[in-house]
Amino acid sequence: MNLHAVLTILVFSPLLGIVILAFMPKQAEKLIKVVGLLATVPALLIAIAAYLHFQWGKDLADFAVSTSWIQFRGMGGVPEPFFSVNYELGLSGFQLVLVVLTAVVATLSALAAAKFVKKEWKGYFMLFLLLEIGMLGVFTAENLILFFIFFEITLIPTFFLIGKWGYFEKEKAAYSFLIYNGLGSAVLLIVIMILFGKTGTTNIEMLTKIIADPSAPLSGDLKLGLLISLLIAFGVKLPIFPLHSWMLKVHVQAPPSVVMIHSGILLKIGAYGLIRFGMGIFPEQFKTLATLIAILGVVNLLYGAFLAFIQTDFKMVLAYSSISHMGIVLIGLAAMNEAGVQGAIFQVISHGLISALLFFLVGVLYERTDTSLIENLGGIAKGMPIAAGFLLAGAMASLGLPGMSGFVSEFMAFLGLFKELPWIAAVGTIGIIMTAAYLLRAVLGMTYGKAHREFTGVLDLRGVELIPVGVLMLLIVLIGVFPSVLSSPLQTTLETIMLGLGG
Amino acid sequence: MMENAWLIPLFPLLSFLILLLFGKRLKEASAYVGILLTLASLVFSILVLFERFSEPTYITKFNWLTIGDLHLTAGFEVNQLNALMLFIVSLVSFLVHTYSKGYMNGDERFPVFYAYLGLFTFAMLGLVISPNLLQTYIFWELVGVGSFLLIGFYYYKEEAKAAAKKAFIMTRIGDVGLFIGMILLFWETKSFEYSAIFAAVDAGAISGTMITLTAILIFIGAVGKSGQFPLHTWLPDAMEGPTPVSALIHAATMVAAGVYLVAALFPLFAASKTALLTIAVIGAFTAIFAASIGLVQTDIKRVLAYSTVSQLGYMMLALGSAGYVAGVFHLMTHAFFKALLFLAAGSVIHAVHTQNIEEMGGLWKKLKFTGPLFLIGTLAISGVPLFSGFFSKDEILIAAWEGGHPILFLLALIAAFMTAFYMFRLFFMVFTGEARGDQKHVHESPNNMTYPMILLGVLAVIAGYVNTPWFGSFLGDWLVDGNPALGHGHIEGPIWIMIAATVVSLAGIYFAYMMYYKRSIARNTISGTGDTLHTILLNKYYVDEFYQLTVVAFTKGLSYFLRFIDVFLVEGLVKGVVGIVQGLGRTGSKMQTGQVQTYGAVAFIGLALLAVIFALTGGYLR
Repeated sequence: MNLHAVLTILVFSPLLGIVILAFMPKQAEKLIKVVGLLATVPALLIAIAAYLHFQWGKDLADFAVSTSWIQFRGMGGVPEPFFSVNYELGLSGFQLVLVVLTAVVATLSALAAAKFVKKEWKGYFMLFLLLEIGMLGVFTAENLILFFIFFEITLIPTFFLIGKWGYFEKEKAAYSFLIYNGLGSAVLLIVIMILFGKTGTTNIEMLTKIIADPSAPLSGDLKLGLLISLLIAFGVKLPIFPLHSWMLKVHVQAPPSVVMIHSGILLKIGAYGLIRFGMGIFPEQFKTLATLIAILGVVNLLYGAFLAFIQTDFKMVLAYSSISHMGIVLIGLAAMNEAGVQGAIFQVISHGLISALLFFLVGVLYERTDTSLIENLGGIAKGMPIAAGFLLAGAMASLGLPGMSGFVSEFMAFLGLFKELPWIAAVGTIGIIMTAAYLLRAVLGMTYGKAHREFTGVLDLRGVELIPVGVLMLLIVLIGVFPSVLSSPLQTTLETIMLGLGG
Repeated sequence: MMENAWLIPLFPLLSFLILLLFGKRLKEASAYVGILLTLASLVFSILVLFERFSEPTYITKFNWLTIGDLHLTAGFEVNQLNALMLFIVSLVSFLVHTYSKGYMNGDERFPVFYAYLGLFTFAMLGLVISPNLLQTYIFWELVGVGSFLLIGFYYYKEEAKAAAKKAFIMTRIGDVGLFIGMILLFWETKSFEYSAIFAAVDAGAISGTMITLTAILIFIGAVGKSGQFPLHTWLPDAMEGPTPVSALIHAATMVAAGVYLVAALFPLFAASKTALLTIAVIGAFTAIFAASIGLVQTDIKRVLAYSTVSQLGYMMLALGSAGYVAGVFHLMTHAFFKALLFLAAGSVIHAVHTQNIEEMGGLWKKLKFTGPLFLIGTLAISGVPLFSGFFSKDEILIAAWEGGHPILFLLALIAAFMTAFYMFRLFFMVFTGEARGDQKHVHESPNNMTYPMILLGVLAVIAGYVNTPWFGSFLGDWLVDGNPALGHGHIEGPIWIMIAATVVSLAGIYFAYMMYYKRSIARNTISGTGDTLHTILLNKYYVDEFYQLTVVAFTKGLSYFLRFIDVFLVEGLVKGVVGIVQGLGRTGSKMQTGQVQTYGAVAFIGLALLAVIFALTGGYLR
């Protein structure tokens, strides 16, 4: 069977939804929501099919597609064609799990949007579907130009989604998002162009080979410089301290359905880029920076955790918690061994699921009570036992309770780092305690204790709202109990990375 | 049967899942789901235990997680210690399930209570059949959650909320020690399996420093879970949970998990003298420290909580003095008599609706079953001859003496005196004398509460006879089974130790009798109410306050300091970036003057630059 078209269909399937929506009247609220939601389903089904394809023992390379796309004719005296950029999509195990994550969270976020978005549904869903194309493209692109284009495609819809459908300071948050990510993109573009200029290709596999070759036309210093630039470009996205302040605003001001995507998927592009390009293309230089990255990771972990400990708004707690959890990704990567890298990748997926769950619940709470301030919410376990239960379960997942996905990732990341840099890892374990402290403080503050005010007529989770929380919780527990569902696709990717690192 | 031991934890898990999903519809019937499924666990546990008497250890494992070349496994193991623990845990859990049907009757969240009990029992049973450290850690954390949920069961009470949070965080501090120790051991042996770790220790493949370091780190985990000094403060607060929970989790099973962990890893600890000494010192100190606080507390459950801390200290002292059998033996007898004491205390609370012993008194005649049963528990914990606690405590004292710790031995002896004293103080104040509170509606608890207590009462009397200097050391011989790393099955000690233990215990009872029954010695003879010593004890040596002023204050301070950085420095950076962008924009817009001369000049300069570059490089920019 010829599967080369599958990825193209996967990536661009939301386009169909955009086209249909374009021809629909603005007021057809119900229909717009249905179309918007259904438009995310093909990608979800294809992603799941691809996962099953892998689990049935077939080769993911079946999906790879490559056709010539753009060619620059050579200028005077240069062999032609000088530069050529192909349209190349592919799927490794690592990319596969990210695509599945994206498709799942996108569908659930669409469901959340159908619940929580109160105006201009048409525009919202069109932008949202465009965003999904960007995300799916980012994770399947096999060359840097294509990656960059999809990367940019994610920025623009996100900007509008925050700026138009967010809370009170939405414009400020949107601009802050755009400036920071724009600067990150600029740095990324420079790196891509230098690589392109020096090697004549942007294909990731080719680049990896060329750069590993000692006779490559790149000096060691340049490679180190490029890696540091990548660290900055993706560090904005991840985010790495001190490049994080934009994402706090986004977490607080963006609508919950967008934050589900933003925290669940968009931040993960930073991690993906660091692993695939940073570690994948510049393994030698990554090694020289390992200690620095480990320290950055621990700083992120602790900085986020201590600040989350004193926040009054639950959204801010979760925002700082994201910073803290992304520290675990850096910790795992800095270990540069199988355990660490696998831990980092697990953390990417796990945090995607957990933060999507928690932000969905924030959306529910805000819709019912008009607040996300911890002290205003005390004692909601009485009126909303199911929501409170899921909130507590989500917090437990987030603080790394065994039996849930967060533990497996945290455990492997630390397992890896303790082998290489035990002292830095030991400092990092303070984060394990602090995570429990700030999450319990926040979640118990909202759910336990005496109710500060009567939430009369406040409804508990019900109907379709149970689908996102149920699905996400099931996946979190599934990975926690049977981590091999996630680790088996990753083994080849790990081998490749380890090979690059020299064993 | 042993090959099916993995089913034992799954029954309560099933109970948890059923009650979580359908509890609302099942209502009161939830209790039967929980009771029947834990009964199934109990039956299986008994069968497994009996089979383990005659057959060798059963162990099985499968691949759980692949990390490159590393294969982490999960599975289960039935060795002597595990089989014994399975029996203890499933028995106490079954009895508590039964008892709770009466105790929690009428509670709005009755099904939730049973669901949580199921979750905890699952985790605890899973913990005791884990064949490797990682799996132990996984269940170790899960029992913590079960405990957390049940401490916070009355979630609307601020005290319960605070206690639940405190329990989780304080035990987690200990857990991090276990976490680090486990990982360091892994990189030494490339395995989490107990057998592989012991083999490496035996073969001398791990350096002495590393053994000491990892052993002490793992012990920190045990300190947190078992409420040992200095991480003990959560355990008395955990009494905010419903009393059956205190019996199950915070007396008989979970808090003994720390002792179990040290016992399960005993060959590792035994390889380091420093680690053993640390355990012995912490244990002995905790034993006397907690006992002294127990002397003055007035809340019936808190007295029992401090006695639990103190008794766990005894077990640690035993293990630290290389008395493997003594430690495990006391774990078992303590599980029975302490569960009995808590259930009896619950029965008292159920009858008088207060926990303050100053408001009780004279209940002996009104609580016909509870009174004698409480007395049996009190006699057992006080180490009165012929009761179970007597034999196990005697073993510990012998172990401490023979282990060459005369000072720790003395501390343990003083603690034994205190134990007998405060336990009988409790007994006399609750059951004898005049009624000091409103007791019009006092009545004995229903059968489903008294029957479990009666069974525990029988065990509290007879459990000691499995390992005595008179009738043979059946338990010890079986537990050790010729394994040199675990020491001897039974330590022969000098007879004077047994006499000394009996004397101090009877002396404690005598003083309590004179003070609280006869009242011929005034209550403030040793230290008056309002005395410095009394105040210090009443305030539990101000350990909580000390933590508030140091650790908590430091954490908050650091957090606010970091917020300062976040607000001023990091935001400053943002403002800088925004400023640069805006500046560039302004400069750009200023260039748009509309004057053709300026545009012309810019264009000319640009052209000139291009020409120069062309001339220098020969036409192509390399």
